[in-house]
Amino acid sequence: MTQTHCPYCSLQCGMTLERAGRTLEVQAWPEFPVNEGALCRKGWTATGLRGHRERLTTPLVRDRETGEVRATGWDEALDLVAGRLRELRTSYGADAVGVFGGGGLTNEKAYQLGKLARVALGTSQIDYNGRWCMSSAASAANRAFGIDRGLPFPLADVEQTDVLVLVGSNLAETMPPAARHLDRLRANGGHVVVIDPRRTPTADRADTFLQPVPGTDLPLALGVLHLLDAMGAVDEPYVAARTTGWDDVRRAVAAWWPERVERVTGVPASSLRALATLLAGADRAMVLTARGAEQHAQGTDTVLAWIDVALALGMPGRPFAGYGCLTGQGNGQGGREHGQKADQLPGYRMIDDPAAREHVARVWGVPAATLPGKGRSAYELLGALGTDGGPKALLVFGSNIVVSAPNATHVASRLADLDLLVVADIVMSETAALADVVLPVTQWAEETGTMTNLEGRVILRQRAVAPPEGVRSDLDVIAGIASRVGAPVVFETDPEAVFAELGRASSGGRADYAGITYDRIREENGVFWPCPTDDHPGTPRLFASSFAHEDGRARFVAVEHRGPAEPVDAAYPLHLTTGRVLAQYQSGAQTRRVRELPDDGPFVELHPMLADRIGAHDGEPVVVTTRRGELKAPARVVDTIRPDTVFVPFHWVGANRLTNDALDPVSRMPEFKVCACAVTA
Amino acid sequence: MTGAERIVIVGAGMAATRLAEGLAGLDVTLLGDEPHPPYNRILLSAVLEGTHSADAIAMRMPAHLDLRLGTRVVEIHREDREVELADRGRVAYDRLVLATGSIPTLPPIRGLVRMDGRLHERVHAFRTLEDCRRLDTAAAHARNAVVVGGGLLGLQVARALSIRGLATEVVEGGEHLLRSQVGGRAGAILARDLERLGTTVYTGARAVRLDDAGLTLDNGYTLETDLVVLTAGGRPSTALARRAGLDVRRGIVVDHHLRTSDDRIHAIGDCAQHGSQVTGFVPPAWEQAGLLARHLAGEDVSYDGARTVARLRATDLDVAVLGDPERAEGQVVEVSNPVVGSHRKLVVRDGVIVAATLVGDLSRIGLITQHYDRGTVLGPREPGDLLMGERVATPMVLPDEAEVCACAGVSAGRIRACASFEDARTTTRATTGCGGCAPAVRQLLATRTLEGTTT
Repeated sequence: MTQTHCPYCSLQCGMTLERAGRTLEVQAWPEFPVNEGALCRKGWTATGLRGHRERLTTPLVRDRETGEVRATGWDEALDLVAGRLRELRTSYGADAVGVFGGGGLTNEKAYQLGKLARVALGTSQIDYNGRWCMSSAASAANRAFGIDRGLPFPLADVEQTDVLVLVGSNLAETMPPAARHLDRLRANGGHVVVIDPRRTPTADRADTFLQPVPGTDLPLALGVLHLLDAMGAVDEPYVAARTTGWDDVRRAVAAWWPERVERVTGVPASSLRALATLLAGADRAMVLTARGAEQHAQGTDTVLAWIDVALALGMPGRPFAGYGCLTGQGNGQGGREHGQKADQLPGYRMIDDPAAREHVARVWGVPAATLPGKGRSAYELLGALGTDGGPKALLVFGSNIVVSAPNATHVASRLADLDLLVVADIVMSETAALADVVLPVTQWAEETGTMTNLEGRVILRQRAVAPPEGVRSDLDVIAGIASRVGAPVVFETDPEAVFAELGRASSGGRADYAGITYDRIREENGVFWPCPTDDHPGTPRLFASSFAHEDGRARFVAVEHRGPAEPVDAAYPLHLTTGRVLAQYQSGAQTRRVRELPDDGPFVELHPMLADRIGAHDGEPVVVTTRRGELKAPARVVDTIRPDTVFVPFHWVGANRLTNDALDPVSRMPEFKVCACAVTA
Repeated sequence: MTGAERIVIVGAGMAATRLAEGLAGLDVTLLGDEPHPPYNRILLSAVLEGTHSADAIAMRMPAHLDLRLGTRVVEIHREDREVELADRGRVAYDRLVLATGSIPTLPPIRGLVRMDGRLHERVHAFRTLEDCRRLDTAAAHARNAVVVGGGLLGLQVARALSIRGLATEVVEGGEHLLRSQVGGRAGAILARDLERLGTTVYTGARAVRLDDAGLTLDNGYTLETDLVVLTAGGRPSTALARRAGLDVRRGIVVDHHLRTSDDRIHAIGDCAQHGSQVTGFVPPAWEQAGLLARHLAGEDVSYDGARTVARLRATDLDVAVLGDPERAEGQVVEVSNPVVGSHRKLVVRDGVIVAATLVGDLSRIGLITQHYDRGTVLGPREPGDLLMGERVATPMVLPDEAEVCACAGVSAGRIRACASFEDARTTTRATTGCGGCAPAVRQLLATRTLEGTTT
């Protein structure tokens, strides 16, 4: 019997794996506090991928001339990869090699991937799909609080607040066990507010539901703030003692009176007033954002506006109150802390900070001067592939780019222009299918490693079964490439040893893991970072006495609404938004292959009024067109969506051929959540 | 234009401050005759009502702006490219923008103006922060008030005074309230709403005389009152432009670049006239300000008239007017329900909502304004659907194949086949995810048991 965690989302539900003969069964682990034994159907069926007939068990090499794929041995495959990487580096320089990681990789893998890029390959060109996850919340939290930890408190704290505002989160479908906390909050007399262009299952469990036009969560926040100030509900002593910048914000929101907000957001002024009144009367209030608010070209500003609301109410740092981000991917949190990001080194250190470079280089045993600087962000990295001055080779770990990147047709064309594409994966994903070399790696339950969940709690996934013959762990693959390209140091492959090194590298950084060990994680049901020393208890709650900026104060930041990068017009008169469904996860590479999970394929959700306008019928195909591509899928006619908006889930190829690649100027987050489209029956 | 050019804006109201914000970083001088830092004028009635604190309406100004308050411009010297101030000082410009707003019209009421030319002490205008403060102070000691003018501002002020406990009456010369925006039926519903809220409305009545007895109307009534508030509209403030020889009709005439007849001088907001349109609302003034900022920064943009949405900001009065519903051409889709006090009307041309009136029921306003602003081409049934109430879902018996637990993918039939809640939990895993289906599962099991016992 092995205690571990679910392979999917950032909730990282605790579960027990039990071997029964040749099968592996999922059972509840009721003592783990985040989910208390609850799981959704993805979790219950998580072992369905084990022994799957599509599982890759041997390295594959594709012949570019014939397109034929042949199986090969590991040494041959790694020699081939390393040989090509060395050639490209010699011809074009170190930045000719790019590395692309994922928010589902363990901390150990994320850390080693960063080290592979900086130490073995010497390239600055590394980033990961977390840019498309919570990066806007990360940049906003850094700006406002001086630190980025998704939730600055344990998730269960939501049960004790008075008013919970969920902005762009459909947690009842995306992380179902989390919804139990909502129900308990309501049972305790608390009030749940959901803000979403769709009346989701989460909204069905809310006391108040606001349905704004996609891309207008920001002016909605400005409107709330305007009213809070107008009614004298700003916590002036808190603002004076713990923050800076309020005066500027206050004057900026004077321009956002409710009727103006109504016109921009489509939320009636009366609803806005009701929300402000509710918040003004709450002793404790909590604002949580998720992808709906964050995946915009103004995602950072949107989060900052909602943080301003929380600060004006005096909430951050108060018990059972404040602001948090509901991270999406399994290790979205840890994945961004240890060096997968183009601008960061382990411990959430910035790569352009000389002291940070010095510290990490010392741990790595190389001169700091040899570490490259800041590279391109995820989408910009992909956009540069195969271009003059862009990478000629790309190593992909834990990401299915051609499904999950925005403007996916363009991204696929960039991949096609590479001299070498290497993909490490468990199955032949859509991206692996384009690769020159595919490396079969271990999956969840076949390997050990730590993850950091949405609360900043570092948890341990433990190996329950041996991997199939022929499969290697990502850590082995990374070490194999490193040694073959002539890395100056040896790369560890034992996860616990890598974790110990990660701890040293993170020591003194913002995300300090130095005091965390596998044993402590097992004994304490996870450890919250920062945890600088062995005898430090970890930090479940941040900000009680100060924020992470040097002066200890949080920052109010005045932001202005610019609106979506691609406004609707006569040719593309509708808003398109994208999101998840319960039974699938991300690009579906894993979940689509689990037999017990229904795979209904993509669909287009639209309102009966719109369906009537274009002559669409439930279940019959409609075509969604944007400036970048089109998608044909069955219509799902529902009255839960705004009539000026259509929704397409992004788990299948096609949705992201439609989406816009406009980026947030700070976080470099693409605008997945709104673009202009047309729909025809 | 080059960044070195000096832009002088006359006025520090809503349009002027918006423009200054849009020109942040350029050499901009703002000349405002009011002594207060720029504030959000649109919220004055809210301050009077008490829903907004006066401190909360100060607006943000860009840094490095040359902001001169209490500075009145008395003359434009076009040939010298200078404006002359009341203190005879002069300010040079390369580009001049007139954002002088409007001035309240004084209705022809005898006794309104005293011998010394000032307003009677009981009479108040309601345009500036100073007006608002003066009225606020007076209202604290007054028992009753008469608001002259039944337009948007008049109704807002009337509601504000009424909510503060003053016995308030409204006098409107036209046949119904909001006569420049809405039709008779909507106006009648509004009047009834106001009456219900305790405010008496006199329509088709003009105030003719103010004296110690009170305010006398042309229908013979005399209304005893401590306060008279004039909200009977305003006219574009054009005196400066007129003296400078610019082309002025109702307002200062501007072209699609918001340029006056002098190409170094622009005009925006309430003082400007584009085509036949003089707007008098903040949203189009801001639209003009934003557009002019881009034009002055060298962008190729032009102004083609505004889509206005007029919203009444007053507690318990729900009114929205989109465009000009009484004059817009198109087919009219209308639902009037005086029984509940709602009147809603859409004017539709070629499938596009070109104007609308919503009184007493704003439930669909968020969607209707979106359609209006975006010029969405609607299907033939949509305008009607937009005015119908939301349909109420009827409870129904779940068929066996209906999914009850989305987390575990369990149908109603499988739950019905279970012996108990605990049985359902362990065998189907229903309720073990988000927990949201627990009540449904209990109900399914309970109804089944009930069916079992009664047969």
